[in-house]
Amino acid sequence: MTRAGSIALEPAYLLHARPWRETSQLCEVLSQRHGRLGLLAKGARGARSRWRGLLRPFQPLRLSWTGRGSLPVLTAAEPSAYLQLPAGEPLFAMFYLNELLMNFLSRGDPHPDLFAHYGGALASLAGGQPVEPALRSFELVLLEEAGYGLNLRHDVVSERPLEPGLSYRYLPERGPVATDRDAAGDKLVFSGAELLGIAAGDLGSGENLRAARRLLRSLLDHHLGGRPLKTRAVLSAMRGSGAA
Amino acid sequence: MLLPPRLQQLLAALRCLPGIGPKSAQRMALHLLERDRDGAERLSAALLAALEGVGSCRRCRMFAESELCTVCASGARDHGMVCVVETPADVVAIEESAGWRGAYFVLLGRLSPLDGVGPEEIGIPLLEERLAGGGLRELVIATSVTVEGEATAAFLAALARRHSVPATRIAHGVPMGGELEFVDAGTLSHALSARVSMAGDR
Ligand SMILES: [Zn+2]
Repeated sequence: MTRAGSIALEPAYLLHARPWRETSQLCEVLSQRHGRLGLLAKGARGARSRWRGLLRPFQPLRLSWTGRGSLPVLTAAEPSAYLQLPAGEPLFAMFYLNELLMNFLSRGDPHPDLFAHYGGALASLAGGQPVEPALRSFELVLLEEAGYGLNLRHDVVSERPLEPGLSYRYLPERGPVATDRDAAGDKLVFSGAELLGIAAGDLGSGENLRAARRLLRSLLDHHLGGRPLKTRAVLSAMRGSGAA
Repeated sequence: MLLPPRLQQLLAALRCLPGIGPKSAQRMALHLLERDRDGAERLSAALLAALEGVGSCRRCRMFAESELCTVCASGARDHGMVCVVETPADVVAIEESAGWRGAYFVLLGRLSPLDGVGPEEIGIPLLEERLAGGGLRELVIATSVTVEGEATAAFLAALARRHSVPATRIAHGVPMGGELEFVDAGTLSHALSARVSMAGDR
């Protein structure tokens, strides 16, 4: 039986936690059916906390909480599986996913499909799959779920389907428009083949992958409105130091 | 409030200490002014002296009263072995128990990308100078066993690799005196994957 306002053993991930008062923690969580939410974990940082070692980012969890207001209180937490974390770049990529979620999701909107994709992305990063394709397909789903879905099918002016052999400029929040300009130097110009490849989820080829990176980076930056992504800076510092 | 403004300011100031709420702050302040004015004098002098006289070691970022901390200045330590820790408290803990004879590097934090704590903030440029300077035989990475601590460890290991300095990570797993059934899943799983050979014990 659940009281009104109590949720029991909801599948969830911890996105980020910060210290609260002396021994507690404010947890930012992505849950399966209740979306992103903040939870207060009382005493979670105490030496004898029952949640010690459990409330970790990226681990599949089941969480119970009570109270609706601005800050529900965590009442139970258990692991639902154990994810062996990777070292190096894939781990930083996981932090990047969390930062994206915190920037693009508002609290309280459910995103069950995104939740599933997030779990899949974590598993493939932890399992040593290539980092870039995993990030790009996650970014595509994230934008879609956040209400900024891409149009990768037809020219927004002529309304004709994209043709592989033509060049298009991608207008943020609208879509591709045929252009006769050469792609060189314009980061928002793509071939029809590249856009169709991205739409089909075909990120195996180097060309599509590079195009997807260029396109998604511009669109994410556009929707972030100039806010920098901190994890991106750390990741590039790591690559710059030869650490990637 | 009954208390005069200066005493109220003292209460407010005491609350910057960890674990000190309004009640404890009041108890401490009243004790100092009521019964131990000499102690209060010493406290205030010591606080001021520490603030003015204690800086950080320019080599390892540990607290120091001169350019170098006592460990970095010591001729009896092995400066080719550097143990990287997150906080000065970690240095104290290792010094008190572990019999470490090498030197340290104190990050004063750990990488936490979501909080905007990157390589600069944890003194990586200074550590990199030391790696590049040569003479290091081993970088022992003793960051915390949290996700951020592991990310920091991975970053440091890659940095060491770039400078061809062997890097090691302190072992973690089942605590001494710990019974397996009470160990959490993450720790147990790590302990299993990082098991060590006992062949040498025969
Ligand atoms: Zn020093």
